[in-house]
Amino acid sequence: METLTMLLHGFYISIMPINLLACTIGVLIGTLVGVLPGIDTISAIALLLPFSYGMNSTAALIMFAGIYYGSKYGGSTTAILMNVPGEAASVVTCMDGYPMAQKGRGGAALTVAAIGSFIAGTIGVIGLTMFAPPLAQAALSFGPPEYFAIALVGLIVLTKLTGTSLLKSALMALTGIMLGTIGLDSLSGISRFTFGVAELDRGFDLSILAMGIFGIGEILTVMTKPNTQNNVPAVRFRDLYPTSEEGRRSVAPMFRGGVIGFLIGLLPGPAGTISSFTSYALEKRCSKNPAEFGHGAIEGVAGPESANNSAISATMIPLLTLGLPFCGGTAILLSGFMIHGIIPGPALITQQPDLFWGLIASMYIGNLLLLIINLPLVGIFIQLLKTPLNLLMPLVAVLTLTGAYSINNSVFDLMWIIFFGIIGFFLRRTGLEPAPLIIGIVVGPELEQGLIQGLIICDGNIWGIFTRPLSGTILVLGLVFILYHTIRWLSKVNHLREEVSS
Amino acid sequence: MTEKIIPFFFLLGSVVYLCLAGQLTFGTLQSPRSGFLPILAGITAVLFALFLIFKQLRSKESIPKENVDWTKFIFILIGLLFYITIFNIIGYFAATFIFLFYLFKIADTKGWIFPFMMAAGSSIVFYLLFKYFLAVTLP
Repeated sequence: METLTMLLHGFYISIMPINLLACTIGVLIGTLVGVLPGIDTISAIALLLPFSYGMNSTAALIMFAGIYYGSKYGGSTTAILMNVPGEAASVVTCMDGYPMAQKGRGGAALTVAAIGSFIAGTIGVIGLTMFAPPLAQAALSFGPPEYFAIALVGLIVLTKLTGTSLLKSALMALTGIMLGTIGLDSLSGISRFTFGVAELDRGFDLSILAMGIFGIGEILTVMTKPNTQNNVPAVRFRDLYPTSEEGRRSVAPMFRGGVIGFLIGLLPGPAGTISSFTSYALEKRCSKNPAEFGHGAIEGVAGPESANNSAISATMIPLLTLGLPFCGGTAILLSGFMIHGIIPGPALITQQPDLFWGLIASMYIGNLLLLIINLPLVGIFIQLLKTPLNLLMPLVAVLTLTGAYSINNSVFDLMWIIFFGIIGFFLRRTGLEPAPLIIGIVVGPELEQGLIQGLIICDGNIWGIFTRPLSGTILVLGLVFILYHTIRWLSKVNHLREEVSS
Repeated sequence: MTEKIIPFFFLLGSVVYLCLAGQLTFGTLQSPRSGFLPILAGITAVLFALFLIFKQLRSKESIPKENVDWTKFIFILIGLLFYITIFNIIGYFAATFIFLFYLFKIADTKGWIFPFMMAAGSSIVFYLLFKYFLAVTLP
């Protein structure tokens, strides 16, 4: 009952004109980011971080969250119409969405994707409303060992699930942890790895790093690609209606996708992408005509598109209740919180109830806005898809650089951003996923504090961390996870050896 | 080839980091100090980088890469460096106009009048947006 009262209060906060405007701008930018294949969610939030300084913190965070979940809606448009996923989570939508478009059912696929996203997105936000407060309450009793266990196991799971190689992802996360130690040590007050540069005492400015690696890195990647012409089919408003058969077949996958997405969103890693693949596999298994999958099965669009939207809402739970981001999107959202002086975590719900409940309520409103925006305006988004990237990217470059300059009015920051941009460009080319790096930087200090304080609490007895009920359980789960994957890897190696020898 | 070279950079970086971390106090398990996590992280990173090098050297597979126009890459970098150099000297509006016009041409935008007009129009919009709407202090 208290949750409902607070949620209603949240609605009161989120319908204030400034917050409603921020939500609308956020979901609109999010949709554009999803639609335009050249820009990703993290880059978009990173480049808008500096512009939010002058904004009210609740409005700024509502806008960033809107971009975050809004981008998942837009990602399906290019996947269905052009076979180009606007977002990684929409890769699987190409498999059946594009064949549907080739058969002239692209409009129906877009509608099913939008309705599925709305239903599942709402399921995800309901889950967030129900589970975030009790988890935050429970997290108040967490001590440093528990935070250490969650951060460590989270990073381990994340490295397994992100990118193409576990080793590369682990190395990127470790690099992030190492970069996170640069600056003033919060426990001892000693400057570490700063070489006497006073600016580095504050540590690496996450927004500069993210704008460089994701923003400039992406611009360099897109602008140096050979030119391609965008060939987008036309979709008229009347094409948007799914047939009754398509509608009937989509309902169950939408709800199944919503539940799967929510559960996967609670785990560390790129939840949107994993949930869409899991949902696709499940729908194929549940289907009476699995052979139709890959040739335009509506379930192959409805399930994954619903799952990735629900997952996005669930990824907000560890961020809001524990202050731990376990995917690139929430890591950059955390830096949005931090530049407004807000530290998410178990105390957020009691110390900043307006912000907490206003943000959650805005997600209900945002989901509805996305449905309203996406369907009637699909024609405009299709026109936008025709915008040549050679015109768009230079403009994005100026936005990124001006944004970075506005943080400290420093040309020195612009040099860093270009440096990180070059690194981001080469990381992409070598198959090194930059997201674990950012998460390592964000989670690294939490990990260090948890470890150091945990060891002090347990009087240097590392087993003391294992014997505490919660931290012990989490660490054992992490060990089981590592053992399971090591055994699988060894059996795979043995199998390959047997094949070679035979 | 790049994927075989990059792990060496990781190794070099991790070794340098570990050497610097070695100058910090490690402490004990009862009383860990500022060098505790950096040393552990540095050692793990060195081991991981060595393992990755070993794996990459043995692997015959290479990551499929998209073609890159390296001439454009160099010219974009020159443009970016030029932009931040002239930024404070000639002011935001003029620097942004030159930078945008240059990038439009680098990105193969046809003709001269259209990119010129686009660069001029966008610079005016950006200047008004940042200077007056977002109240950013611009040079």
